Amino acid sequence: MEKARCIMIGLLLVILSGTVFAESEIPGLIRSGQYSQGTLGSVNQPGQTQQSSDGVYSVGVYPLYTPELAQGEGREIIQIFCRFCHSTTYITMQPPLPAAIWEGVVNKMIDTYGAPISEDSARQIINYLRTYYTQTARKQ
Amino acid sequence: MSEKKSGLMSRRFLLKVFGTGVAWLGISKLSPALAQVSGQSLELLPVVTGPEANPYWGSVGPFVVYPQKLPLIQLTDRPVQLETPRNYFLTPFTLNAAFYVRWHLDKIPNAVSLSDWRLFVEGNVEKPLTLSMSDLMSQFKPVSIAAVNQCSGNSRSRFQPRVPGGQWGNGAMGNALFTGVRLKDLLNAAGVKTGSSQVQFEGLDKGRGPAGKGSHSYLKSLGLSDPVIGETIVAYEMNGEPLPMLNGFPVRLVVPGKFATYWTKALTWIRVLTEPDINYWMAKAYCIPNTPRGNTTPKDVNEGKVEMIPIASMPVRSFIITPDGSGKIPEEMPVKVRGIAFSGYGRVVKVEFSWDGGKFWTKAEPGEDYGQYSFRTWETTWIPKRTGKYVLAVRATDEKGNIQPDEGVWNPGGYLWNKIERQEVFVGAAK
Repeated sequence: MEKARCIMIGLLLVILSGTVFAESEIPGLIRSGQYSQGTLGSVNQPGQTQQSSDGVYSVGVYPLYTPELAQGEGREIIQIFCRFCHSTTYITMQPPLPAAIWEGVVNKMIDTYGAPISEDSARQIINYLRTYYTQTARKQ
Repeated sequence: MSEKKSGLMSRRFLLKVFGTGVAWLGISKLSPALAQVSGQSLELLPVVTGPEANPYWGSVGPFVVYPQKLPLIQLTDRPVQLETPRNYFLTPFTLNAAFYVRWHLDKIPNAVSLSDWRLFVEGNVEKPLTLSMSDLMSQFKPVSIAAVNQCSGNSRSRFQPRVPGGQWGNGAMGNALFTGVRLKDLLNAAGVKTGSSQVQFEGLDKGRGPAGKGSHSYLKSLGLSDPVIGETIVAYEMNGEPLPMLNGFPVRLVVPGKFATYWTKALTWIRVLTEPDINYWMAKAYCIPNTPRGNTTPKDVNEGKVEMIPIASMPVRSFIITPDGSGKIPEEMPVKVRGIAFSGYGRVVKVEFSWDGGKFWTKAEPGEDYGQYSFRTWETTWIPKRTGKYVLAVRATDEKGNIQPDEGVWNPGGYLWNKIERQEVFVGAAK
């Protein structure tokens, strides 16, 4: 009951203030006092680390902020092989790329960087990338 | 949109006030012309751009927090790549806490003990050196240089067609006052033997790939006959402070005028070589077409027509930092247009500003000169005479006569972008 009364008083105040402002007609003021729940999110501040006077200079561990990969066939293979050297942010960051470019990227990982990926696994990885991360597949 | 300010409670009115909490007063005054009051939306940026060019100044990733850093724009998290937001470029020196980050390999230092860490100068030298941080600071004359560090792939997200790689906007760059020891002094102390051709640099970062592959070690080299050897320093300070861990603590190489690929972070091995370095990071990665501006086409690359050479100096660039389009400008208000310019080929001697998209150019006022390798700030006062949409543009010229072109560039690595930058702004009525 107490709560309901508070709401009623609140409502009354809102209406009254509305009336007052509406009648005062401040020239040029189009809108004011508008808020809404933020949709962009917020970032927490880091705390302080303990320091010491020895020779060790440390910043602790680096945080990961890895977006989810698209669900689908081949995702597990990607998680096993690609994540060995780098996080899959390296995939999600890319613009939609043609299938041939993805194939080239995977082959570069194998031939140039020495990723131990079997032919069969490579084919699955390439298939996955061209199913979910090409121009036709990747819609906003 | 015809709700009357009657003071009576309608159900819709109440919903507006308590349901969504927005737009409850003066709603009858809304008109479409006033809908755009700010360039900053409540909506998220798209999480990815393409296949068209990224139309935004920076890359589109989220803000993330890392040790010793302000929130920066995330490209990747392992290895770490972070972009500096636009606003930090209003000053000639970029804050350490806002300085962009780019690592190639996953195992980057989290903690370093200076009690045990040593810098090694080795290879084809008379007397190999093993130097502690204390030795570096006490046994050699300290020198300082203001120098721009720019990623080779800065602005890669502008490429058409898009190329794979770090999808940087314009913020993979920064300028700092670096203090340290001349590379030349270290090489002289070690005594470079005859028959030496290059110096190789290696840092504490390592990858998880097999030894001998680019995924294992990040190795870069400079030719001993390159004049930049005389300008290069091994820096232990950045803007008068120790280097942030993510920017290469305890020391990093500073190679003025050259792209950041040569600025080895957490530098630990300086190796004098007798043969040219043909490791992956010199022979294959960071290579550009041997053509004017490093420009080519996908077709020529596919047909194997393009000779590739290691990337080197940074072409001239300039940027508009404010106004950034986040708000309108009232007509006839004298506004400051401000930005930065730099070139790896020599001092910036002229910065020109245009408010008509690049048809008519006027000279902008250069800021303080911190040396030829530094950012040079510039500003000009612009008085928009009429309402409407304007396209501001800026172009810089360096002392070698290089002037920014109005054409993009294309190469498979996504390097060397230096097209004239533009900023759209709206000028609104003031009377």
